[in-house]
Amino acid sequence: MSDAIAYTTIRELGARYRARELSPVEVTRELLARIEKLDPALHAFVTVTPDRALADARAAEEALRRGDARPLLGVPVGHKDIYLTRGIRTTGGSALFADFVPDNESTVVRRWQDAGTVLLGKLITHEFAFGLQFPGHRFPPARNPWNQEHIPGGSSSGSGAALASGLLHGATGSDTGGSIRGPAAFCGITGLKPTYGRVSRAGVMTLSWTLDHTGPMARTVEDCAYLLQAMAGHDPADPACSTRPVDDYVGALDGNVQGLRIGVPRNYFFEDADPDNVRAFEEALGTLRKLGVEVRDLTIPAFNRSRSFMLIMMSEAFAYHEGDLRRRPELYGEVLRERIMTGALVTGSEYVQAQRLRMQTCAEVAEVMKTVDVLATPTTPKPAPTFKMMYDPEIAFPRTNMPPFNLTGQPTLALPCGFSASGLPLSLQLSGRAFEEATVLRLGHAYQRATNWHTRRPPV
Amino acid sequence: MPDEPKSPELTMDELRARIAAAGVTIPENRLNMVRKLLGEALAPLRAVDSRTIRPLEPSVTFDAGGPHVGVRHE
Repeated sequence: MSDAIAYTTIRELGARYRARELSPVEVTRELLARIEKLDPALHAFVTVTPDRALADARAAEEALRRGDARPLLGVPVGHKDIYLTRGIRTTGGSALFADFVPDNESTVVRRWQDAGTVLLGKLITHEFAFGLQFPGHRFPPARNPWNQEHIPGGSSSGSGAALASGLLHGATGSDTGGSIRGPAAFCGITGLKPTYGRVSRAGVMTLSWTLDHTGPMARTVEDCAYLLQAMAGHDPADPACSTRPVDDYVGALDGNVQGLRIGVPRNYFFEDADPDNVRAFEEALGTLRKLGVEVRDLTIPAFNRSRSFMLIMMSEAFAYHEGDLRRRPELYGEVLRERIMTGALVTGSEYVQAQRLRMQTCAEVAEVMKTVDVLATPTTPKPAPTFKMMYDPEIAFPRTNMPPFNLTGQPTLALPCGFSASGLPLSLQLSGRAFEEATVLRLGHAYQRATNWHTRRPPV
Repeated sequence: MPDEPKSPELTMDELRARIAAAGVTIPENRLNMVRKLLGEALAPLRAVDSRTIRPLEPSVTFDAGGPHVGVRHE
């Protein structure tokens, strides 16, 4: 298979299927061969599902012959391994669930299946979406395709590595403190954390009930729009899932961003930032200005208190894991175990106060969002760190630029905006008003039409 | 009435007391990491008088479209 096919967009893939230039079975066979060749070094997949993939591909081929127009028909995808898949092992990246085969599946898995996608397999996640696997773990961590000495970001690490390597065309991720956007940033792809409540979390392993988001990862904003369209919408099985109607995300990509107002919060997001990240970000703002966007600087003091999100995440993670942690602690990775255990040390009062601070942050940001349409920041303050750095057991939880938008629940997109001097991808973060995914996607799409960072390929 | 000022630092003694109260076991050689993790997370709370936080209800039944979120767009 040529790289051109492995890296084609979802829209182009559909067009070539319908022009009979390619077939889903042919593409699926080629991608399975590519996975067999590249994944032993990348470790993006926990489980490859060739029989299921080929069955899905044959069904898609049949549907195409009948004139079925679903845009995701025959599109090869994978699911982060915290999404339950009926009859397919779902490990959570943990020894605790190493052989767990669910008899039900998540709403999003079912929706993508109903959309006609081809399931290639399950993608490695940091253990329970929280802890990088250290050497000796039952499941090895994914490697960054741009430089395998570096992490691909987490926790949706397999999703990021697989997309950057051209092993599939779309993937699910989850994002509690940046787990969609971090891998998108470090792997040079695109990821969207939708508004809290826009996409169902039913059947997805929990890290933190009030911070968890599910969303799409892909190589382009347009691909994310197609994937979001097929996963968004009310689900009574997730009590936080909104009943609001779903917008036309693909239709919103009209390229017209003239007059949009971007606010750049100059506090918090630039602390200790690498000069390469700042340079790439400022250049991205310059591109957006040329597209007719108005850019202004802001200060949002509440973001300076964002670190308190850890109190919420760790408390809720401990509540979810307490039984297993007390009964079978040896099945948790050491660093993860202690991170979750730290949640037991947060008092009830502190948890409540952290939620109150969070509400104050939401209120403060809501006021700002009356004056601008989108907030822009660097997605991360630095490029991907090395495994060697992350294997330092004294590292607690690195500070990043993503948790503020888990606290506020706003739709937030990460997309490539350049490279560091060492050749690692850099990323732009765009955050819109609640349930205004269409605006964020429209802006990101216009940026990708004006730049080619998202078309760069790693040396795999 | 303002809160009593809190110590900005999480001391090792306080950490040990919290561990005992929670009834969990954390190896001695990991206490520094845990102190750093918890200390950084607590710092924003310790820097404010909680009674000055605007009286917005804490929301554990978080409704993305509802009034608790603060970010409302009709």
